[in-house]
Amino acid sequence: MRNWILFSALGLAVVAGAYLSFELFSPKTPLPRYAQSSIGGDFTLRSVDGEISLSDYLGEVVMVYFGFMSCPDVCPTSMGVMGTAIKQLSPAQQQKVRGLFISVDPQRDTPEELHAYTQYFSDRIFGATGTQPQIDAIIKQYGAYYSFVPMEDSALGYTVDHSARIYLIDPQGNLADVLAHDINPVELHERLAAYL
Amino acid sequence: MRLPLTALLLATNLAVAADLSVTDARARAVPPTAEISAAFMTLTNNANEDVALVSAQSSVAESVELHTNSMTDGKMKMRRIDQIELPAQQSTKLEPGGLHIMLIGLKKPLKMGETVDLELSFSDGTNETMNIPVEHVMTGMKKGMH
Repeated sequence: MRNWILFSALGLAVVAGAYLSFELFSPKTPLPRYAQSSIGGDFTLRSVDGEISLSDYLGEVVMVYFGFMSCPDVCPTSMGVMGTAIKQLSPAQQQKVRGLFISVDPQRDTPEELHAYTQYFSDRIFGATGTQPQIDAIIKQYGAYYSFVPMEDSALGYTVDHSARIYLIDPQGNLADVLAHDINPVELHERLAAYL
Repeated sequence: MRLPLTALLLATNLAVAADLSVTDARARAVPPTAEISAAFMTLTNNANEDVALVSAQSSVAESVELHTNSMTDGKMKMRRIDQIELPAQQSTKLEPGGLHIMLIGLKKPLKMGETVDLELSFSDGTNETMNIPVEHVMTGMKKGMH
């Protein structure tokens, strides 16, 4: 009697395992579904053009990045990577792609300065920021992280620790991929092109 | 009797400790509105003594500091450090994502094709002055990509 239950349970486990493996590791699915449904979504911020929402860009592939302008290394690297990937697209494709640099440091970074900063790397990268509570809500929404750190021993005054990821939003507005900030631009270009 | 010996030892140490080579030095071009940039390079200590880079100066920035980045639990953290240790017979790389010389309060925009003066000061009292090129952020990045 017991053996029959045991074998049934094992058999079920094998079938379940096979099914899960197929679902998780299927090349069609960039992220496991449980992660995909819990983070991402629409938000509203301020840019040099006024109020903007992520849903304004439905139909485009959007690369969202959280950073701050007083970041000398990681953020310029991320912008450089995004700019280079965009340049590898055709002019028509470029119009369907945009980078969105969200500053978590509105005290120092104004929408006007953000615009000049991002446009330097590509005319398809835009900047936005908001109030600290607005930023906090979006950071949480995307499973990102940032933290102000006082630096009394530095002329900077303070720095910002932050997760350094490029959040890829598909043309339907869903978070499709979370990429390292220093991903190879050729690979990033391929991931963008897959949606275009 | 001791003084000449000490003087000899001191002289030897100074000569040996200043045996540094700097390669691949570059500063990053940044947007005109940026007030901050970074300089990277490889410092090779050819001597048998450890030495450290303790400070730097440049006419293009109000402050120049030594910083390091570290990624822990997916969080990028940048901190100022007092010195960059240069162990004997080793090369130490200042590169994106890691150690760098931070230029704070840029007095003029750093444009590609220009040069930036940089004076490095070391723990043995020596200095090294150089003019480094300003390069695009993506130059030399390929090696660090994953």
